Amino acid sequence: MSFKFTEDNLLEIERLKKRYPAPQALCLPSLWMAQYQEGYISLEAIDAISQVTTIPAMEIYRVATFYTMFHLEKSDKIEVDVCKTLSCKLCGSDEILKHLESKSDIKINHVECLGSCGTAPVMQINDKNYENLTNTKVDAILKEL
Amino acid sequence: MSQLVKLIIDGQDYEAEQDSLLIQLLIDKEIKVPYFCYHESLGADGNCRMCMVGIEGQKRPQIACDTLIKEGMIVNTKTDTIKQVHTDILELELINHPVDCPTCDQAGECSLQDFYMEYGLHSSKITIEEKVKHNKAIDLGSNVMLDQERCVLCARCTRFTDKITGTHELGIVGRGDEAKVTTMPNRPLSNPYAMNVVDLCPVGALTSKDFRFSQRVWLLESADGVCHGCAKNCSIIIDHNKLKYKDDTIYRFRPRRNDAINGFFICDTGRLSYRELQENRQETPLLDGVKISEDKAIEKAKELILLYKRNTSIIIDANLYTQEIEAIVAFAQEIGADVYAPLDIYRDEAFGDDMLRSSMRAANAQTIINMDINTQKPKKVGLILNFNHPEKFESAATINFLTHTRAETALTLPIATFTESSGSLTNEDGITQFSKKVIHKNIPVPTLIESLKRVSQ
Repeated sequence: MSFKFTEDNLLEIERLKKRYPAPQALCLPSLWMAQYQEGYISLEAIDAISQVTTIPAMEIYRVATFYTMFHLEKSDKIEVDVCKTLSCKLCGSDEILKHLESKSDIKINHVECLGSCGTAPVMQINDKNYENLTNTKVDAILKEL
Repeated sequence: MSQLVKLIIDGQDYEAEQDSLLIQLLIDKEIKVPYFCYHESLGADGNCRMCMVGIEGQKRPQIACDTLIKEGMIVNTKTDTIKQVHTDILELELINHPVDCPTCDQAGECSLQDFYMEYGLHSSKITIEEKVKHNKAIDLGSNVMLDQERCVLCARCTRFTDKITGTHELGIVGRGDEAKVTTMPNRPLSNPYAMNVVDLCPVGALTSKDFRFSQRVWLLESADGVCHGCAKNCSIIIDHNKLKYKDDTIYRFRPRRNDAINGFFICDTGRLSYRELQENRQETPLLDGVKISEDKAIEKAKELILLYKRNTSIIIDANLYTQEIEAIVAFAQEIGADVYAPLDIYRDEAFGDDMLRSSMRAANAQTIINMDINTQKPKKVGLILNFNHPEKFESAATINFLTHTRAETALTLPIATFTESSGSLTNEDGITQFSKKVIHKNIPVPTLIESLKRVSQ
């Protein structure tokens, strides 16, 4: 299966190229575009990014694996990103995780800080943060989806 | 050349170029400082943090690999604070290390081991069970095996594929304690210089599939040598030993630093050429494919040479040492034979590149050219004396002087390989190196010069 950026995304990349002094800066925006376009980042997408940005594919792969918000595997389930950093841990993210693990129709990703420590514990589904979680709240959120 | 400045290290005066790297001066002057990530060919990276030194006027210890030398700098490498810093950073490097030295091939030439004996000697604060587990035997391709648990993430290997070969196969993926060196899925390490990452790796993370589990490094003897893979003549180290009841055997070739020729590296073909060198050796004289005594073979050779006097051609292999070629040429004059060294067979355009591989795959071809030896093929003659040249030429009779066996019925006299004799070589850029006899066989095969002496007596 080959990956091709949509016309809109290609135009956007060309627009961004003029903004940044070095091609490396295009790496993150194009990874986001690929992820939104396909739902995950395939190796073909990494090659496509490598081609438009002239960055070696390995370097893009390194960036994609470094950031927990990029998904390198396709999943049919709902992706639930649960924060594993300090504030959430102290506020009981372990319990939330245990509760989530009992559910079968979701995929849990342990991610780094979601930037909402004041309202810990936090999880993120489809770019939306769900804060001050409790087990009952989690059930309600998942039911709504 | 930039300006020379004075600085003081551990109370001693030194002089160095302004803005050169402090760690390089420390290494050059053999002032002990531990480091993993710095390598002269790859430059400073500053990720391992081991090379901390104290610099007067600076609040905290600084890494020597990211410190540029300035006039009047006062550097301390042996204070108690610095020693403590080294110990603490080493403890951090070792925290997830499996400490499997007894089964590790790097043991004996491992920076982690050396630094632990020098700066560590602590017991681990976490148990084996608590350590982060990674994969232990990953085949990266190109004969390189990766053990992710032993890795200290110095990034020498990834910088090698980025900066030196430009092939970008290796990278550090993931973050925190999950960070590890790897290739992209289904994209193995594949470049003709890949095995150099094994030498670059300061620990046992990258080992050679070829050398793995074959010998303990402290049992090996190292000798200087010259690679015979092509006309580049890369300087190498020959690691060999002679175990009880066994013959002197080469276990690996490693690059030897030579800034004039190969820098720090050699190609994989050259590195693995030691295997072919030791296989299928011609060890006894042959006639019609049957073993005969040396005396009989010499006698037979003399007879043939006498029989075909003034009707003989001599063919020289362009891998022979200069001294051997000179001896052959002198012998040719003595018996009135023509000398040829056809070079076409050694040309391999696909092999050559702009790094260390020459498309002329004969080590001493330059000497053949310098000595003005005819590089054409010989015309049909009575007798051909072939001194290990890979080609077979038509003639009424042939005498072969061979290092390795061939499917030929002609009279064959065995000769020593380049590791079993001494001599000099000139590479395609005109640089001459001397190569000493390294391998001492239990039953030595005569060198070419010895054989030649006996035949011409």
